Amino acid sequence: MVSLDWDTFAILVALAGFPVSLILTRFFMKWNKAHNIVGVDVHKPSRPTIPEMCGAAVPITLIVIAGIYAAIGGSNAIALLAYSLVVGLAALVGAVDDRLKMRGIFKPLLTLFCGLPLLVLGLEFPGQVYNPTLRVPLFGGFHLPVIYPLTILVAVSVASNAVNMLDPLNGSMSGGIAIVSVGLLIGSLFTGANSTTIFLYASLLFTLLGFFYYNRFPSRAFSGNVGQLSIGASLGALAILGRTEIASIVALFPNIQNSFFFLSRIRRFTEHRELKARPTRLQEDGKLASSEDSAAPLTLVRTIIAGKPASEQEIVSDIWVLFIASASLAMITLLLMGIIL
Amino acid sequence: MNWRVIIFQVGIFATQWVLMVLGFGILARIIVPLKLFGPGIPFGTYLEAGTKALIALGLSVFWLLLWDRQVRVYFYRNNK
Repeated sequence: MVSLDWDTFAILVALAGFPVSLILTRFFMKWNKAHNIVGVDVHKPSRPTIPEMCGAAVPITLIVIAGIYAAIGGSNAIALLAYSLVVGLAALVGAVDDRLKMRGIFKPLLTLFCGLPLLVLGLEFPGQVYNPTLRVPLFGGFHLPVIYPLTILVAVSVASNAVNMLDPLNGSMSGGIAIVSVGLLIGSLFTGANSTTIFLYASLLFTLLGFFYYNRFPSRAFSGNVGQLSIGASLGALAILGRTEIASIVALFPNIQNSFFFLSRIRRFTEHRELKARPTRLQEDGKLASSEDSAAPLTLVRTIIAGKPASEQEIVSDIWVLFIASASLAMITLLLMGIIL
Repeated sequence: MNWRVIIFQVGIFATQWVLMVLGFGILARIIVPLKLFGPGIPFGTYLEAGTKALIALGLSVFWLLLWDRQVRVYFYRNNK
């Protein structure tokens, strides 16, 4: 009963993320437009100019809400501090990339360091940040005292870059990761996860929904790397803090497929803007078609429209359905954690 | 909505999910309990952890290869 009360309390506090994120996104839309921080929506025939880096609202909201939750004694302050530092560092890397347009290799390298707070605070406060025993659905689990701490850095980097790479269309990333958060939140609630995990998944969900309001089709705010990397890092950190490592991998199946096929074709870390062959092309009727260039990467969007051009809204809906499927599998994964063959 | 693509993609996700759970099962039940190096070997713990990590990496690469094959067969079979 006490656990239920704390979970309800955690979700109620996390709800504040929605209005805070909404207001902050609105602020960034105006401020960034006034300061000419804008990008072109290349998937529309009119090529409108949209304020960039509005995704900064997400990490700021996540950190503020986590601070409030820690201040009112909601839960483990060390875990919340580690989470906030990871999200903040990833946002910093994203903001620097947005302004300086770094080469593709720097993002995965720099985001490796974003997981350091989890590692350092975890070593300093054993048992409060991470647990090196990996839980496996149906097969129990295994203890990884040497490997687990090292994989924390990789997990945060991979999650943040995978999320960063799958934000090609209006609302695809914010909507998709919101679906992932719903799946992992429900799974965590059913499996009796601690209130910190419940709070963090709920705060990510409501914060994303606030941003999504302006990011959905037709987008009035672009996330920028600052939003994408911090949202991905947030999921990576949550996988460690909430012990949802395997379920998080499953939930991010669409991102994994997109990143893997991009890298397997291009064979190096690079930015979309540096690509010589684009994966899609905009037709005169406003629909997107798969590129006929064999050198173009096999992204998820290109796979969806292989053989059949579609409108931006249709493709985004397809991506969300795929996220619903992966989030459902992630939920089942969490439920199977308690069953041992 | 392109239901053909969605059904194929969900099929690929489900297959990869089953393979992944089985892979972690192999790690949990077979690979991790193995004692590869005796207690007297210097850095034995680290060597053992490294060897098992390499086996896990090999399984991951095989898993990704199967994913790659599925996507190419379902979506890019006739695509030049």
